[in-house]
Order: sequence, then C-alpha cells, then structure tokens
Amino acid sequence: MAKVDEFLPMPLPSFHMLLALSEGERHGYALKREILRRTNGKLNLAAGALYGSISRMLDQGLIEESAERPDSHLDDERRRYYRITPLGRRVVHAEAVRLQQLVRLAEDSLGLPELA
Amino acid sequence: MRRLYRLLLKLYPVRFREEFSAPLERQFADDRRDARHAGERARFYLRTLADLVITIPREILREAGQDLRYAARVYRKRAVATALAFGALALAIGATTGVFGVVNALLIRSLPFRQPDRLVEVANPPVSPLGGRADYDAWLANSGFLAGAAAYFPTQMNLAIGPQTSHVQIAEVSANLFDVLGTPAVFGRTFAPGEDRQGRDNVAVISYALWQQYFGGDPRVLGTAIRLNGTPLAVIGVAPPAFDFPRRTAVWTPTVMDYGLLPQDGVFYASMVGRLKTGLPLATANASYSADRATRESLARNRQFARNGLLPDAMIPRLVPLRDQLAGPVRQSSLVLLALVAFALLIACANVAQLLLARVGERRQELAIRGALGASRARLVQQLIVESTLLTTLAAVAGLAVARWTARVAAAAQPVRMAAQDYSALDWRVFAFAILLAALTGLLFGVLPAMLIGRTQTAGDPLRSRAGHGCSGAGRMRTGLLAIQGAVALVLVSGSLVLGRGFLHLVRADLGFRAADVVTLNVSLAGTRWDSENRLAQYYQSALARLRAIPGVQSAAAVQYLPLIDHMYGATGLQLDSGHKVSPVIFNSATPDYFRVMGTPILDGRDFEASDRAGAERVAIVNQEFVSQLGAGPHIVGQRLTALFPKGRTYLIVGVCGSARLHGPSDSFVPQIFLPVDQSPPGFATFVARVQGAAGASLAAARDAVRQAAPEVPIYDVKSLDRRLAEALARPRFYTTAVIFFGVFALLLAVVGTYGAAAYAVTQRTHEMGIRLAVGASPAGLRALLLRQNLAPLAVGVAFGVVAAALFGRYLQSLVAGAEPAGAAACTAAAATLGATAALAVWIATSRIAAIDPTAALRAE
Repeated sequence: MAKVDEFLPMPLPSFHMLLALSEGERHGYALKREILRRTNGKLNLAAGALYGSISRMLDQGLIEESAERPDSHLDDERRRYYRITPLGRRVVHAEAVRLQQLVRLAEDSLGLPELA
Repeated sequence: MRRLYRLLLKLYPVRFREEFSAPLERQFADDRRDARHAGERARFYLRTLADLVITIPREILREAGQDLRYAARVYRKRAVATALAFGALALAIGATTGVFGVVNALLIRSLPFRQPDRLVEVANPPVSPLGGRADYDAWLANSGFLAGAAAYFPTQMNLAIGPQTSHVQIAEVSANLFDVLGTPAVFGRTFAPGEDRQGRDNVAVISYALWQQYFGGDPRVLGTAIRLNGTPLAVIGVAPPAFDFPRRTAVWTPTVMDYGLLPQDGVFYASMVGRLKTGLPLATANASYSADRATRESLARNRQFARNGLLPDAMIPRLVPLRDQLAGPVRQSSLVLLALVAFALLIACANVAQLLLARVGERRQELAIRGALGASRARLVQQLIVESTLLTTLAAVAGLAVARWTARVAAAAQPVRMAAQDYSALDWRVFAFAILLAALTGLLFGVLPAMLIGRTQTAGDPLRSRAGHGCSGAGRMRTGLLAIQGAVALVLVSGSLVLGRGFLHLVRADLGFRAADVVTLNVSLAGTRWDSENRLAQYYQSALARLRAIPGVQSAAAVQYLPLIDHMYGATGLQLDSGHKVSPVIFNSATPDYFRVMGTPILDGRDFEASDRAGAERVAIVNQEFVSQLGAGPHIVGQRLTALFPKGRTYLIVGVCGSARLHGPSDSFVPQIFLPVDQSPPGFATFVARVQGAAGASLAAARDAVRQAAPEVPIYDVKSLDRRLAEALARPRFYTTAVIFFGVFALLLAVVGTYGAAAYAVTQRTHEMGIRLAVGASPAGLRALLLRQNLAPLAVGVAFGVVAAALFGRYLQSLVAGAEPAGAAACTAAAATLGATAALAVWIATSRIAAIDPTAALRAE
C-alpha cells in the first residue's frame, strides 16, 4: 500500500471532496455546495481551485468521470459527474486514519477533553 | 462580466481549458446568482480574481510539467536524431550569441563617455596642433557643427616612477579632452582650460589601473612626480576605472600643443575627437564639414599625398561616429561574421524543423488516435511547442558555453582598443539575445510542424501524401526547407573555398624574410641615460655583444622598424644624380647582420660593416622594390642618393637587399632605405637573433642578456618572430576557420536533411513502392526516381545559392585580404560537392528499397 502513502497528507479541499464523493456521485457545483454546507460556510471553493483539484485527482486516479447520469430531467447536459475510485477510497481512508492519529497525539500531549 | 470571465479563462493552459472551461463558466454564473447584495457581489468578484491569479499559474506549471515529461520520453526514443538536432542548435545558437557578444561590445554597448552618440572622430581635420593653438581655436570657433573638439595623439613612452621604468601607452592631448568626452576624474582633477600652454603643461592624469598597480591606490599620488621619456610631470588626477581612451592609455598629458616637451622619435599625427552641437544630425554636420573652406583647402594641399597612396582613407574629411571609429576595421568583419553565423543558425533551424516535420508525419497515426480520443489540435500544438522549446532551451544553455569560447577566440583574433569594448559574457544584452534566439528558433521549428497538424490529420491516404512531391502541406514545407538548406550551404561552401584559397595564398606569400627560429625583443631608450647620439650606438653594440655570447645564437642584430610591428613610418623622397627619384621611401636603421638574421638576401653589393660608423661616409642599402621604382637599371650600387628632406644629405648605395612585406603577408612591397645604426641611431629598436632550435626556449636568455647591458632600459614584447607572424595572421585565420567550419557544418546538415527526407520517403511510400515493384519496376529504377525527386529541391536551392553567393560573396571576401570573389569555379565546385554528397546520402537512404518484398509490403497495408 505504498502507493496510498504517496498521496498523504492530502490538501484539505481534496480531502473534503473525496469524503463528499464517497457518499455518491456529484457534479462540480454540487460538490462545492456540499463542502460549503459541511464546513459551515468556511471552505468556499472558487471555480479555479475546485476544478484544479478535480483535474489533479482525475490525473492521479483518485476520482473518475462518471458515464451514468441521474434522470435526464434532473440533469443539465453540461454538468459532468464524478465518482470516487477504489484507490480514492483507500486514500481518503488512510488520510482519515492519519488525522485521527494526529488528534490522538494532541489529546495525549495536551490533555484535551474528549470532544462530543 | 461573464464575457470578461470567459476571456480570462483563455489564460488557462489548453488541456485544462478544454476540459473545464464550461463547468468553470457555469459555476461562475451559479455563484454570482447566489451572491445577492452588492457587498456579497463585490466579495465574490474579488474572490474570483484571487482564484484566477492563484490557479492559472498553478495549472500552467502542472500542464507544462506533463508536456515536458512526455517530450523527454519522445526525445529519448529517437536519441540519435535528437542528439544531432541538439548539437546543431547548440552550436549555431552559441556561435551566433558569441559573435553577437563581440558586436555588442564593439558597436552596441555604451562607451564610458557622456552622451557617446554625440561624439565623432573628425577625420583629416584641416588644423593640426602643430599649426599652433591660435589656428586651432579659430577654426573650432568658426565651425558651426562642433560644440567642442579635442586633439589627441596616442603613442608609447618610457614611464619612470621612482627607480622603475616601463614602456606604456600614453596620450598627448589638448587640455579639454576630458571635458569634450564628459569624463570627470575619479580622484584629483582633470586638465584645467589653458593647461595645455607651454610652461603650464608639465602635469599628467594617470589611469586607474596604473594608480592601483604603482601607487597601491594611495591618495598621496597627487603631486607625485613621474617621468615620461625623461621629462618630469606632476600627477594631478586619476581617470575612472573603465576609461582608457584612445587606446589602453595609462597616462594623459596636455602636451599635444607643445610638441617637443616630451622627446620622442617617430611620426607625430594628432587626431581629433569632437562633440556635435546639440540637436544637430550627423548628416548635416558632415555636410557642413566637407563644405568648410578650411577643409577644402586642406584637402587640396593633401592631394599630393593622396596621389602617392599615402593614407588614402584619412584624406577624406568626414565625421565618423566615435563608436565606429573605435571599432575600426573589425566593424564590418564582425557584422559579416554575425550574418554568417545567423545563416548557420537558419540552416540548423531548417534542419530541426525538417526533423520535427518528419516526426509529425511518422506520428500521424498517434496524433490521429489522440485526436480521435478528443485531443484537440490546440492541445497537440501546445505539446509540439513544449517539445521544441525544451530542445532549444537546453541547446541555448549549452550554447552559452560555445558563445563564451567563440567570443574568446574572436577577441584574441581581433583585439579591441579600449577596455570598455572588452567582451563580457555577463552582459544582459547577450543573455537577452540568447534567450530571444532560443525562443525564436523554438517558435520557428516548433510552430511550423504544429501548423501542419490540422492538415496531416485530414490527409489520410498514404498514396496521395507522397513525400517530396509537395502535395501535402508538410511535404511542401519539407521541400522548401531542403531548398533553403541547399541555398545556404552553397553560399557557405563556396565562401569557404574562396576564403580557404585566400588564406593559403597569405600563408604561402613570400614575406621577404624567414620567420622561423628568430627571437625578437623591443627596447626604448627615450629618456634613459643612453638617449644621446653617440651613446645610443654604444648601447646597441654592448647589448648585441651580450646577445651573441648566448650559446645557440647564430647571429644577432638590431633594427629600427621590424616587419610585422605597427609603426607610423617616417618617409621622404630620394633621388639619384641622374634625376631618377622615388617618393615616398621608408627610412629604417639596421646593424650589420640584420639581413642575415632575417634571411633576407643581399642581391647586390654588401651588408653593413663595422667600418660604417659615425663620421665615415654615409652609406645606405636599398631594397629591390626601391630599385624597380627608381627605374635607373638594376645596377645602382656605388651611386649616390640625395634626400629631398632634409635637403641635401647624400648616401652612398653599398647594397641592394630583397624586399620584405612590412605589415605581414597581405601587405605589398614598399620602397625602403636602410641606414647603418652607427650613422643613424634610433631611440628605439628591435633586437633580432637567429637561434638554433626552438626560438621560444631562447626568449628568456635573450631578454636577460639585453637587460644586463643596461638594466634601466625597458624591454617589451619579447616574442619569437613566428609568433608575431601568427598574430598578424590571427584575424584572417580566425575568419577562414570560422567560414570553413560553418561551410562544413552547412554541408553536413544539408546532407543529413536530404538523407532524412529520402529515408522518410521510403518508409512512407513502402506501399507504393511495393505496387511499383509488383508491376515490374526495378529497385534501381525506383532508387533513381527517389534520387531525382529528392535532389530536385536541393538543386533549386543551389540555384538560389549561386545568386546569393554572387550578391553576398564580396562581403565574405572582405574578411581575408587578397581573397578573390566567389567566381564560377568556386560555385561549381561547391555545387558539385553538395550534389555529390547529397546524392550519396539519398542512395544510401534508399538502399532499403532493394530489400522490399512486394507481396509483404502490400499485405502490410
């Protein structure tokens, strides 16, 4: 699994995008809205940053373009849908584990109370 | 707003743009819709701008990295062709940059003067400092075009600082020289107005280098006494570091109007540098100068000299931009050289473009597949441009090393007059030039193939896209490139033939002396304790005695003017009692044995002897050229010559020697008369000694022997005569080598290009060849067909090349004195060489045809 380590640590926007995609296919704009919602409006990806990350993750094989479309009446022809690949899944998992270990370390050192 | 955003999206690299510009635009619209209030809107626009600023460079870098990696893979796969293209480009870019560096140093870079573009050399001024101040000032005051003008006379003198004496370059100038040039002293002061009047002019400004070297930069230098040729002068200032006008000057004295204060022998010839009146164009000033009454009168007076072929160029009164004057004769040569290397670069570019074009053809399938997969033309164009830029950038980097080397060789071959003209590789202009060159060549051979992609993608039928037939765009362009290479190669090859022959001519020229195994060294006695009529002769005798005592020295002598050394000669006319006369004649002094050391034959009469001493009858030896110009028959030994100036002095002719070329192989013979050193002792001389074995090994011993005779006499330019000859030939050798090198380079590239085109044609047309073979064509016939088709564009190019050689040949020819223009013979020889090698290349490239199996070839399709 050396390959997975190459992607760590992940940039925060990419991590959020993979997390969101692991719940289902989304197009770019939906992805942005979802991340905005999850972070309480703190991470608002501008277009260039969003599609820059998408392009990079496509090249890296973490996500792929989806050929299937939801019902056509819901769809806009111009929208492209993305889905997470098995590699992407492994990577996002490994990143989550890494962050978890980091938080544990912080708890041990600082004696932070368990967060609810 | 949306239109502006769409426009800005074009700044993203091609692949990203094609992939994502639609969603980007869509999100822009969505986001803007979401921002309802004016404040939110403003924030949104700011955020979008920041996003673009950050992500555009990021995406460009990422895509360039991908393209570069791909390019590297492509190049690795065709290592040989790539190495060849790389080598050709590096060499051509490097040589062009190197020569540009020289041109930049000579003609472009600013001189260390105030407004140097307004400074002119006043050639053949109607007034001379010898005519006195009043004349000079009056002419200047009346001239409507000069704001100021200064006189200067560069010469060499013995400089004594304390006990040390050395021979240095000095300039006798008028007091306003520094003001006219606009150069203040870096320490102390320059000359005050009127300081060039007799009685006030025993002061000197020294160069920065001299200040550092002799005084360690000590500020107490001001007021120190130095002696020039024995005359004491007080140092009043130090010139700025880069300043050494007129030529590598170490000391300036305001003595040009006071000829005689600093004793010297040799010819006095002052030049004039002027500053044009503000706003006055050079052409107008030049017209006023030639129309000036004083100028016309002076020219009329000088007609006599002009008729005798003395200084014909300086006879024309003109204002020459100072920069051009300082660049001197190497100005044109450097420009010709630049044009030459630019041609070489052009041919290298044509070659590489051809390589890439062939590659486009070969990669047609790959590109078609990528196209079918959605890669657009723009995307492929970007890829090709990155590929070519990678190659040129690397070639330019390697080229900088070539450039440094080229410039070093060029600088050695054509030494500059001032430190400010020295070549420096760190000049920003040279760097900018190299970068520009790399970019241009990259575009030239990257964009050409790229432009053709659109066409190649549609040209699918292999039977219709026959290489060399000019049906497709790529084919037409390849044909054109081959023709260009043929034309340039012909110009360069015929040029190398012409220059090569001219140079051989120079090397084989009969110099009138034998340069091998002769040690030479210069001394100047001016201002030393030997500097009086009877002691001079005594010094030469004593030094020669020591020289002759060195083991291995076969003979030794001294002479005033040694050939191959630049001098201003004193010349006057001489006549026989019968009325036959020769004018001008160069006077020279020599000791006995001089002709023996130099290997110059005594054709009639005798050499000088010890008995030809002061007080005895004045004797002379004349050279063969003198005898022929005199026209009084071959036997003049025993007759007497009378000098026209100083009038009445007579000389008994005791011998006739062979003529020598004073300035080296390209010079013609001039009439000369030799007087014995004892009867006409010069204040400076060159010792010459013929030695056994290599002259280089005896240099130190010779110098030490002469030094022992009088340690205070400065000795300089200790060299073998061979080396002096090599230095005289350095410039033509350099030009010849350069032209021949690039001739071979062009020939090689043209041949490689032809080979490549033919080999490509064979691979592309295997199917067609198969058909032709199947219906009964012979392999030899097919090869002959390809030969004709591939040599046709070359032949067209050669035809153009002959015209170009006729037009530009005379510029090339000007590089080497005595080279003849590129005539029919040289062009024919060049065309034959080119044709034969190219034909051979095509024949080898098409050898595969014989091995084609018609059935297999047809089945493969």
